[in-house]
Amino acid sequence: MLMRLRTWFERLLEVIVMVLMIALAAEVTIGVIYRTMGISLAWYDEIASILLAWLTYYGAALAALKRAHIGVPGLVQALPRRLRLPLVLVAEGLVFGFFLLLAWVGLEVMDMLATDFLISLPDVSSKYTQSVIPIGAVLFIIAQALNLPETLRAAKAGHIKHQAEAVEVSQ
Amino acid sequence: MTILLLFGCVLALVLINVPIAVALGVVAVVAIVVSHGVDSLPNVALTMFNGATNFPLLAIPLFILAGAIMNASGISRRLIAFASAVLGFIRGGLAMVSIGSSMFFAEISGSAVADVAALGSILIPAMKKKGYPKAFAAAVMSSAATLAVIIPPSIPMILYAVMADVSVVQMFVAGIVPGILGGLGLMGMAYWFARRHHYPIEEVFRLARVWATFKDASWAFMLPLIILGSIFTGIVTATEGAALAVVAALFIGLVVYRELDWKHLKEAMIEGGVQTAVVMLLVATSSLLGVYLTEVQLPQQLAASVSDYTSNKYVVLLLLNILFLMLGMFLHSAAAIILVVPVVLPLALSVGIDPVHFGLIVTINLGIGQQTPPVASVLMVACTIAKADIWEVTKTNIYFIGVLLAVLLMVTYVPITGMGLVEYFYR
Repeated sequence: MLMRLRTWFERLLEVIVMVLMIALAAEVTIGVIYRTMGISLAWYDEIASILLAWLTYYGAALAALKRAHIGVPGLVQALPRRLRLPLVLVAEGLVFGFFLLLAWVGLEVMDMLATDFLISLPDVSSKYTQSVIPIGAVLFIIAQALNLPETLRAAKAGHIKHQAEAVEVSQ
Repeated sequence: MTILLLFGCVLALVLINVPIAVALGVVAVVAIVVSHGVDSLPNVALTMFNGATNFPLLAIPLFILAGAIMNASGISRRLIAFASAVLGFIRGGLAMVSIGSSMFFAEISGSAVADVAALGSILIPAMKKKGYPKAFAAAVMSSAATLAVIIPPSIPMILYAVMADVSVVQMFVAGIVPGILGGLGLMGMAYWFARRHHYPIEEVFRLARVWATFKDASWAFMLPLIILGSIFTGIVTATEGAALAVVAALFIGLVVYRELDWKHLKEAMIEGGVQTAVVMLLVATSSLLGVYLTEVQLPQQLAASVSDYTSNKYVVLLLLNILFLMLGMFLHSAAAIILVVPVVLPLALSVGIDPVHFGLIVTINLGIGQQTPPVASVLMVACTIAKADIWEVTKTNIYFIGVLLAVLLMVTYVPITGMGLVEYFYR
């Protein structure tokens, strides 16, 4: 059941990330083409920047599911089990706490921004673009929760997964 | 004192395996609440959003994507064939080919790990088959891959340019000469090994073969060259050039070579998206800490306190080189740039170091850091492919690291090495 949920959640995030990557590449390319034709699209860089922020938070949830965020597991891994488990719980608690806080303040800000609009597209409320913060935070929490049983099992066994395998192409 | 406390807290959290991005965020939130109270918390959401909406950083996912598509389109094979035709006649031909292909691949890819994964998976087994020791094969491929972050485009350079608020284009141009020098130096070292251990030559030099392989690979390196040229001449920005690189990569993969399939494209997009998100989340949470650091002017305080001891530019450069070499041993380059550059940049500026020059020094340092255990992302990939022990490989790699260190010293103390082209074209 948990595995099925995890697979479904991973597919969903992968589709969102792919759509955002295509949108980013297409939007910037269209912007360049229009500019070479002498027509500058006023919304081009503002929308591209927003797409990057969306990619950041939806992608960050997918990265959390794949345990790809940069971390240093060496020290905890080397500790005896009675120290290892509490430290893993503290670390997990901090991650959950940070994203819960972000989801909460993200929602508060959305209300505040209800009357704020994009500069280049005055019909679009900043509330929608900013929605990525609470949504991204909740998705991150779900991803972290789906990994939790495995994280605790690994902590008990002393095989904490290296977190930064997937990130390294950005090096 | 405050700076020590802040970094001490971040370090403590990182050591208990809190992801670095979250560790930065947690410490920043606590610092903000302590200094401004709970009412300032909504600013956390705003800063986290604004921190991720940085237009120049768009070049990162686009260059990662372009490199991945090019690789999935069979260009590695073609670049290797061309490098073999040009360099294969020299003793230790395959090692030369590895370095030469890495230099070509570097103009497509901005990532050393992508470089070693793409080329190493073909060249390391080929070297082993020809009787090269696996430690040598892994070392030469690993150190050559570092050229990918020095020769433009370069993801660490984009990141540095944004953190230090300097021109991405100038950073790219500054990397050209040191990248070529690094490549030639590594070839010299590989040749020395080859003479000493009687490694074979690869193939006889034939102009017809050079022409045939050039024709086959021409799309793969001419198109990126044209795009880099457009960036350097200011026709497009680095971000726009990166988007054009994606279009060019798709054109090459789908129309010219017709080897790119949907499965590879899908994997490339997901990988690119995840890697971007990991770096960007770090950028976003560090902007949270950045707000606090700026308010209390900590980087300026650090600059002032170091300046009390010395204002000699060369001593400061030496200290910064040591700092970044040490950091490179323990931190991934993206994390090191995001965490440390904003803190030490005012110090570098205060003693008259050009920020582009400093960026080049940081990039080469962190490139070397990818070769030095315990945290050595590029070396790890090479060792995994070669099925070689990381310490065994390091015994050989130390010679190649020596070459990269020589380039670093030259770039540091003979600034014209990297800055000559920048001064000539842009200032």
